[in-house]
Amino acid sequence: MSTLTPEQWEQVGPYLDEALELFPEQRAQWLLSLSQKDAKLASMVQALLDEQEQVEREGFLERPPLQTGSRLAGQKVGSYTLISQIGQGGMGSVWLAQRSDGRFERKAAVKFVSTARTGRVMEERFKREGNVLGRLIHPHIAELLDAGICSDGTPYLILEYVDGEAIDQYCDEQKLSVEARIKLFLDVLSAVAEAHANLIVHRDIKPSNVMVRKDGQVKLLDFGIAKLLAPDEATATQLTVEGGGAFTPRFAAPEQVTGGNITTATDVYALGAMLYFLLTGSHPAQTSRQSTAELLQAIVEREPPRASALALTAKDAAEKRHSTPEKLSRQLRGDLDTILSKALKKNPQERYASVSAFADDLTRYLKHEAISVRPDTFAYRTVKFVRRNRVVVALATVAFVATAAGLIGTILQARTARQQRDLAIRERDRATDVTDFVTRIFKVSDPSQARGNSVTVREILDKAASDLQAGAAKDPETRAHMLFVLGTVYDSIGIIDKAKPMLEQAVQLQQHLLGQENPETLRSASFLGVVLLEVADYEGAEKLDRDTLAIQRRVLGPEHVDTLTTLARLGALISYQGRFAEGEKIQREALDIARRTLGPESPLALTLTTSLVGTMVEEGDESRYPEAEKMQKENLAVERRIFGPDHPDTLAGMAHLGWILLNERKYPESEQVLREGLATEIRVLGAEHPDTLDLRNYLATVLMRQARYREAEQLFRETRFAQQRIFGPEKPQTASSTYNLGCLAALQGKSVQALTLLREAVDHGLNSQTALDMENDEDLKSLRGNPSFTALVAYAKIRNGSSHEKQ
Amino acid sequence: METSKANLSALIDLADQGDEVSSDKLFVLLYGELHRLAKCQLARQGEVSISATTLIHEAYLDMAARDGASFPDQGRFMGYAARVMRGLIIDHVRNRLAVKRGGQFELTSFTTNVEDAIKSDEELTRISQALDELARVDSSLSQIVDLKFFCGFSFGEIANMRGLSERTVQRKWEKARIYLHRSLQADLPQ
Repeated sequence: MSTLTPEQWEQVGPYLDEALELFPEQRAQWLLSLSQKDAKLASMVQALLDEQEQVEREGFLERPPLQTGSRLAGQKVGSYTLISQIGQGGMGSVWLAQRSDGRFERKAAVKFVSTARTGRVMEERFKREGNVLGRLIHPHIAELLDAGICSDGTPYLILEYVDGEAIDQYCDEQKLSVEARIKLFLDVLSAVAEAHANLIVHRDIKPSNVMVRKDGQVKLLDFGIAKLLAPDEATATQLTVEGGGAFTPRFAAPEQVTGGNITTATDVYALGAMLYFLLTGSHPAQTSRQSTAELLQAIVEREPPRASALALTAKDAAEKRHSTPEKLSRQLRGDLDTILSKALKKNPQERYASVSAFADDLTRYLKHEAISVRPDTFAYRTVKFVRRNRVVVALATVAFVATAAGLIGTILQARTARQQRDLAIRERDRATDVTDFVTRIFKVSDPSQARGNSVTVREILDKAASDLQAGAAKDPETRAHMLFVLGTVYDSIGIIDKAKPMLEQAVQLQQHLLGQENPETLRSASFLGVVLLEVADYEGAEKLDRDTLAIQRRVLGPEHVDTLTTLARLGALISYQGRFAEGEKIQREALDIARRTLGPESPLALTLTTSLVGTMVEEGDESRYPEAEKMQKENLAVERRIFGPDHPDTLAGMAHLGWILLNERKYPESEQVLREGLATEIRVLGAEHPDTLDLRNYLATVLMRQARYREAEQLFRETRFAQQRIFGPEKPQTASSTYNLGCLAALQGKSVQALTLLREAVDHGLNSQTALDMENDEDLKSLRGNPSFTALVAYAKIRNGSSHEKQ
Repeated sequence: METSKANLSALIDLADQGDEVSSDKLFVLLYGELHRLAKCQLARQGEVSISATTLIHEAYLDMAARDGASFPDQGRFMGYAARVMRGLIIDHVRNRLAVKRGGQFELTSFTTNVEDAIKSDEELTRISQALDELARVDSSLSQIVDLKFFCGFSFGEIANMRGLSERTVQRKWEKARIYLHRSLQADLPQ
């Protein structure tokens, strides 16, 4: 830092004038355009503006050189006598005062509002409104007792005196755990909710405005003032100018920085930032060496790091939370990450709709219940395909095929569970086998039509289903079996709306006929869990899986393959809901048992490892990607050795590795792995095998991420073409390729084309998760604000049922 | 002393034109005036303190009455008087911090927003030096600091005095603070 020469000062002066005339939030943009004209000059102005921040922060030259302070002591303000000064803030000084009418002792804080900063407008406002101020009464809000104007014209407020510490200091000093901090924070939320119910937005929530008394009682300061100080429409501009930084940059919401509308969502953001700070000890947008302009820019533009990732490097913070960095990170990972990210959304409309909704999720977290928000990572972190379902479904298929084997031994008898899983993944093959089965059982008139054509399979199934409904199976037990088999087949070709009622019926019948503990009942129940997962009924799926698991543990033993399968799927399901830490723990437990009882190189252990790695990556904690990559590489090496390089499992492992590398943004390596895998799959499985198409999709995504749009588009188009032929135009797989093409168009700024493709995808079977998450999709960022896109998002929500919204 | 008093208007004119000798003379003259006035006020009002703002107003009225119609307008006068007031205040702080002498008058700045701490005279001296430097770059900025910080005038009053809008005064105040802060930071031993 150096003094400017008079020449420099003269040169920079007019620009500094101009910058100072702008609202703080306009300055970043202004500076940007200046720097394009004259970078050196812009950086000089920037440096001076940073200096100004410091000036503001320090209150440089704001206090006169001579004291008068002590002279105020003993003076009366309203019915209170000033005792001593207890603070000096941006708004003015704060004094401790005592009620002097002698009737009862009451301490209060008297806040003098500096007119130098607020201007005459504020004085007027105090005169007008001070006496008729609506009072906000809440146990966690410091009460506004009175307001008025001193004889020298200085407005003052008399507030409930809170003898305590700022919440962050209190938490650190008491070394409160994460849970204790959240409990305290919930009190803050209840206070803000009360204010919001009274149509009062605080606009400046920050730790120093939240005091904790010695008895642990939380008190929010300055809430009553918020209303008094809030600009009404007529004076808004003037007040903003006169008030200077009316907000505190560190805890400002993006819309405060950009000059957008201030609503209750603004408070939600500030609360999110505060919780983030309380939990991690770091600010979501602030780094240590950063100018205010950079901070403001970060608030508007940069996604905050995940709290859990941040915690890993915060030894001090962990200690103050009675924890270690690893433990703290684990605690924050999953639900808390998700909750924080929801509260800290850049777009106010994407945040929690209310403070109460925010509080509800934290309460659920404390009670270990499922939170309302889904993690938003996968929409852009993972490939938009059925990847997520893949492992979970694959696990389920073990159960499915095992049951099917019992039923129709002639087809599946000879296969190991492993082979059966491969079979299941390859839907077309499975469809063919099942077609044979169905053909035999139901004696469809023309079997020649039933070769590997899913449309025909569908026809046969529908016929079988209607026969069954018409009473084709008289024996209830056989009927239950058939319902189960038909349900699983419907599910395997993706007609879940038919599969679900059949499986529900099957489970019901079997429970009644065979009892809850019968292995067949358990298998049906286990598969129903998969279906519930597929229709995004996570609560239902989790409850069912837990019930099934409890019985399986008791009846089959905790180490039985079926039990392990359910356990692992439960883990995946829990991760799927964003409770990654819990889900991972369960999956690890299942994996440990599988390794111990079946061997570390057993097919189930290998499958579970793949699933676990998937969870680790989907969690989105980038610091763990290397670990996941290593595990997947090791797993893949074992699969290569045991199954050979051409085995479908090995190929699936390669696809998985390519996907992990994609998430790690190691595009060249990912591309290499995927291209190698793709070549093999084309050779072994054929160019139009679902797995091949899957891989092609990943590869296209890698190209897209590298902005190689033309190559990506060609691959997506080829994929879609093949999918249309194999699955039909109305299938989720086809629709997701259409969706990907839409993303590609959006990335290139072709909004009309993008919207057409997206609409087509939504209309033709796009999976509901992707459809419902469209507005958060980073690839579609260029469409945000486009009314047609807004309409499409709304349309997708209606189409996919608003019940999904909460999940 | 009587002669220089009579020449006050002329001195201000010369100082306006950049005559350094006249500036120095003007300073000495005003310093004496203000100091005398402060003592008088103290004697008249007993133990009550005087605010810098009051003092400087009094000085103006007093001197204008004696100098007659030729006396410069309040705005021009205040610019110089405020600079003098700065010196007076620094000396006052220095004396008071050194030894509590009897008969010293109490100077205060107007405002309820005061922290219960006095800046050290070293700090004030450094601010003062930086202000003098600033005066050479842009005297309108340094004058505003004298009026606002040392004399305790409000933005509105300064705006009236200097014939500027309040907003402009505020902006100049911001600029001056940036400049001073920067140069004080640069002065600090690293």
